[in-house]
Amino acid sequence: MPTVILMDVSLSMTRPVSLDGIEEFQRKNLAVHGLNMLFEHMASNYRLEFTALMAFSSLWELLVPFTRDYNALQEALSSLEDYDKTCVESALNGVNNLVQQEWGSACPCQLVLVTDGSLGIGKGSLRHSLQTLKHRGDDKKFPLPFPFPTKLFIMCVANAEELQMTDAMDNLEELLRLSGGDGQIFTMDGPLCMKSVQGMFGRLIDYAYSPFHAVLHCGNLSSDVQVFPRPEPVVMDEEVEPMPRTVNVDEVGTGATDELEEEPSASQMAGKSPNFCVLLHGSLKVEGMVALVQLGPEWYGMLYSQADSKKKSNLMMSLFEPGPEPLPWLGKISYLGPISEAAENPYGEDDSKSPFPLQPQVKRSYAQNVTVWIKASGLQTDVQKILRNARKLPDKTQTFYKELNRLRKAALAFGFWELLKGVADLLERECTMLPDSAHPDAAFQLSHAAQQLKLASTGDSQYAAFDHNIVPMHTDFSS
Amino acid sequence: MKMFSVAHKTVFVVDHCPYMAESSRQQVECDVLTKSRAQGVIPLAPVSKSLWTCAVECSMEYCRILYDIYPKDKLVSFLGKSNVNYIVSDSEFHILNSWRREDQSTHELMSALAAVGPPNPREDPECCSILHGLVAAVESLCKITELQHERRTALMDTAERVANRGRIICLTNAKSDTHVRMLEDCIQETILDQNKLAAGSDRLMAIQQCELVLVHIYPQGEDTLVSDRPKKEISPLLTSEVHSVRAGRHLATKLNILVQQHFDLTSTTITNIPMKEEQHANTSANYDVELLHHRDAHLEFFKSGGAVGSERDLHMAGTSTRENGLKETVTLKWCTPRTNTIELYYCTGAYRISPTDVNSRPSSCLTNFLLNGRSVLLEQPRKSGSKVISHMLSSHGGEIFLHVLNSNRSTLEDPPSISEGCGGRVTDYRITDFGEFMRENRLTPVSESTHDPSGKLPAERAKAQLERHTRYWPMIISQTTIFNMQAVVPLANLIVKETLTEEDVLTCQKTVYNLVDMERKNDPLPISTVGSRGKGPKRDEQYRIMWNELETLVKTHAGATDRHQRVLDCIIACRSKPPEEEERKKRGRKREEREDRTEKNGNKETDDKSWQESERLKGLLDKEDQESEVIKDSPDSPEPLNKKPRLTTEEVQPPERAKGPVSLLTMWTNRITAANSRKHQEFVGRASSVNNKFELYQHLKDENGMDVHENGKASR
Repeated sequence: MPTVILMDVSLSMTRPVSLDGIEEFQRKNLAVHGLNMLFEHMASNYRLEFTALMAFSSLWELLVPFTRDYNALQEALSSLEDYDKTCVESALNGVNNLVQQEWGSACPCQLVLVTDGSLGIGKGSLRHSLQTLKHRGDDKKFPLPFPFPTKLFIMCVANAEELQMTDAMDNLEELLRLSGGDGQIFTMDGPLCMKSVQGMFGRLIDYAYSPFHAVLHCGNLSSDVQVFPRPEPVVMDEEVEPMPRTVNVDEVGTGATDELEEEPSASQMAGKSPNFCVLLHGSLKVEGMVALVQLGPEWYGMLYSQADSKKKSNLMMSLFEPGPEPLPWLGKISYLGPISEAAENPYGEDDSKSPFPLQPQVKRSYAQNVTVWIKASGLQTDVQKILRNARKLPDKTQTFYKELNRLRKAALAFGFWELLKGVADLLERECTMLPDSAHPDAAFQLSHAAQQLKLASTGDSQYAAFDHNIVPMHTDFSS
Repeated sequence: MKMFSVAHKTVFVVDHCPYMAESSRQQVECDVLTKSRAQGVIPLAPVSKSLWTCAVECSMEYCRILYDIYPKDKLVSFLGKSNVNYIVSDSEFHILNSWRREDQSTHELMSALAAVGPPNPREDPECCSILHGLVAAVESLCKITELQHERRTALMDTAERVANRGRIICLTNAKSDTHVRMLEDCIQETILDQNKLAAGSDRLMAIQQCELVLVHIYPQGEDTLVSDRPKKEISPLLTSEVHSVRAGRHLATKLNILVQQHFDLTSTTITNIPMKEEQHANTSANYDVELLHHRDAHLEFFKSGGAVGSERDLHMAGTSTRENGLKETVTLKWCTPRTNTIELYYCTGAYRISPTDVNSRPSSCLTNFLLNGRSVLLEQPRKSGSKVISHMLSSHGGEIFLHVLNSNRSTLEDPPSISEGCGGRVTDYRITDFGEFMRENRLTPVSESTHDPSGKLPAERAKAQLERHTRYWPMIISQTTIFNMQAVVPLANLIVKETLTEEDVLTCQKTVYNLVDMERKNDPLPISTVGSRGKGPKRDEQYRIMWNELETLVKTHAGATDRHQRVLDCIIACRSKPPEEEERKKRGRKREEREDRTEKNGNKETDDKSWQESERLKGLLDKEDQESEVIKDSPDSPEPLNKKPRLTTEEVQPPERAKGPVSLLTMWTNRITAANSRKHQEFVGRASSVNNKFELYQHLKDENGMDVHENGKASR
């Protein structure tokens, strides 16, 4: 999950912090110290994540666009300048633009707002923004909640008591609520010093930046893995299953299928001693297979080899939506069994076939030639089809009756008896218009069909049963 | 996201009273005469649908879309309202289907509707009322569905989390606004009554929320007597809305909008579909097809709609408003099919579709194209700039899905190569063998009705098979001898099976005899020479390594069945046991050689490697927890002990089995002891003892013909 660091560089951040008179620091120095600690942690544990650095006062400026280069981020921190007053709203607009342009609105994003809790004065201050929240036009809406899923972490280079003396804490809490409630406000414990700022960023790291370690099992073969980005808990149904589903850290097992498909939220995983992941990756790549992986009860995903254009490839894990049947064409995962139990290999001895995809029990409407007469053209087409075949009797006897019965069934279901009578009339007319050269059977079949339709149109249960079909009249002209 | 929202249960109540037999006055010309045949033929008078036919076909269309997109767990119950005087008072309504899953298909509904037939216009209207149907609808909503039952059973003590909500769609011809209010009041009262009943029943559930959608249908050319009214709350349990619609096309449009609202659907129009003309097969024109699907397929579009930047404004150009602003559709452009799997990796979701106009020619051309296994990439229409592919249509198993492709930058870009990670520098992985292993462990769907005697689900059985197949599975070529030998394949394939047949045992034994034969003929073995310079171990050493490994493999399965055990017995009995004399000579020679080699190499790579190997195997066996025998498959370890008598499985563990890493001292002591032991002839009893015990008077057993293999003495 990408992170945007939003650093307050207003004048109030330059307020000095006295440390028993030994050395003087500005709040800004403490904040930079904390961020450096975060960047160092990410460089060693989260090096595949993207982070951007933005500084703001009354204006905002993107200092480092999304990168995995943590040195660049640290360098930018070391050359921060001081500006005027704090204006959170415009900075949030900047974050919104930045994230949407880079990742779109579906990618979840973390925002770390580093401030001293002095949130500006007058117009543009957070207090002012929140007070005017309800009196805005569509063009000047408050940027929160962002269109993308957001985790908001507010790092206050101040302690809680200081923030509670003004309405700063209330405003920050309101900000967190507006962003969707996912996140936390961190404050400093005790006096403002290097130690307490380390403590605060340490808590953030534990909360949101702990690496995700897991063990990948395949029977007795196993391998320790780290997963980027870490799989986030999912709430399936707030009513029936209010507890979020989380990935159980070491219950990952694989089975193999060769269905190749793609699904939500892909995550990716990372000497000389043999490692099962490398073996698995190599074989998946060579065989063009994917492995099914179980992450928890009724939560599955798949492992496969993904190559980029530069011929580098790695083992990727894609998580499916939790549930017993994440991909309908595989059926219930718990009902996938080993092929050794099957009477004959469902993949064929030479891998020429596959038991997948599973067909649904009932075909979808577009796959079963349904009858819809909502538009007049639908009805006209069906009637014309019957007439076309009627003129080619007896060659087209089968098709003629098939189309006739399809129309009959629909007319009976829709209670459209008038149509049955109408089509019967049409068939009788066709009968009278038969050319002299016509086969004698044509006349017999036409009048037989017309008569059967008329009987059905009475609703008489003997002739109007839905499952009943009009069968061709038995004739014999061979002699 | 709620599993049991009002969308879980939908009840259709269609008025079957005499006035519904009235004509909709929308005429359909179904006798289209071609010019050549027109002379002297009187065309058939146009037919017109009754209000009943209009109501039924539009509600069937609602169900068709619903079942296409939600084939499970969104249920419809259809009530055809019949006359009061039809039969006695308790059967004045027809329930056409139940909540059971097998009843949920358009075919079932059509069949039931045909049985009901159209209303009889000669019935006495005074005796008829839609009310009976509405009361039955409320009763029906109280009935528990299979899914509700499953979830309640699964949740046990928190079963109350399973909610019961539902929607009633009533298609009727109401008399006035007052009539509508009367119907609402009646439903409200029925809900209260039914909830009281449900409180005392296991198979009924009280209704927590009910949404009434009343659609008043009137013939074309008439004025409506009922006014439209948006959704309003009648009580905390009941909301109601009224739609007054002319029969025919307008009703169809209305129900199409309703199904979208009710089930979070949205519409996409695929434009520029090239299609051969029906009449002139050599020309082709471009067509549009409209599809319905869950609105999440356009989440990105809806969220960013007009929000930021000029690019997003262009998206808006893809939205067109039709049917008097009631309906919106997102336009996407057909891209000539091609296959490039790279784009599939960033697929973020797949949604079922249903064509709005299912049997029109363009629709069926598109759906057949997709059902035949082809895919279509869809592009966002833009006035300028690069082309952005945002979706893909493709079918899986007879169902068509709209796939959402990530068109933004991916956070997964530029992943490191796996060779940069742990184990990435190892070059002799058994890639081909593991590929074969995966193919043997592939999965296949198992019918839910087949019952396995073990009581285990198929997936559990697949995992158990994985476990068996990996008990001994060296990952690299230089770690194994037996898996590099074609001669071992039959045994290696069979021994991992859960049960063996007599024939299997025979095949395994044959494999072993074959190996013995190879050894006698002194055939070379594919022993890895990695880590040791020169030619590697001598031939007899090679065979000992091979036999030790084979024994290790089979031992991990020996506990499974007696037949597995017999394969192990066979190996122990058959493996090389040179005569004592020769053995001694050889040992002398070997010792000298070894000292030589150690000096030359100045290190003990071979030893290190074999230590790792045996430690690893021990770890494996510890897991198994059933074998208490010592594993010695390093070339330097003493001859394997004889197979112990089965009775003594609870014996004290030999010192080598002590937990934890082995100290250098122990290693050294073992080595010296082993070396010393070669300088004198060991007592027969000690040499062949098991855990320092030796069974006396064995010959008696032999003479009785029992268990000739018992002490590992080859009997061949």
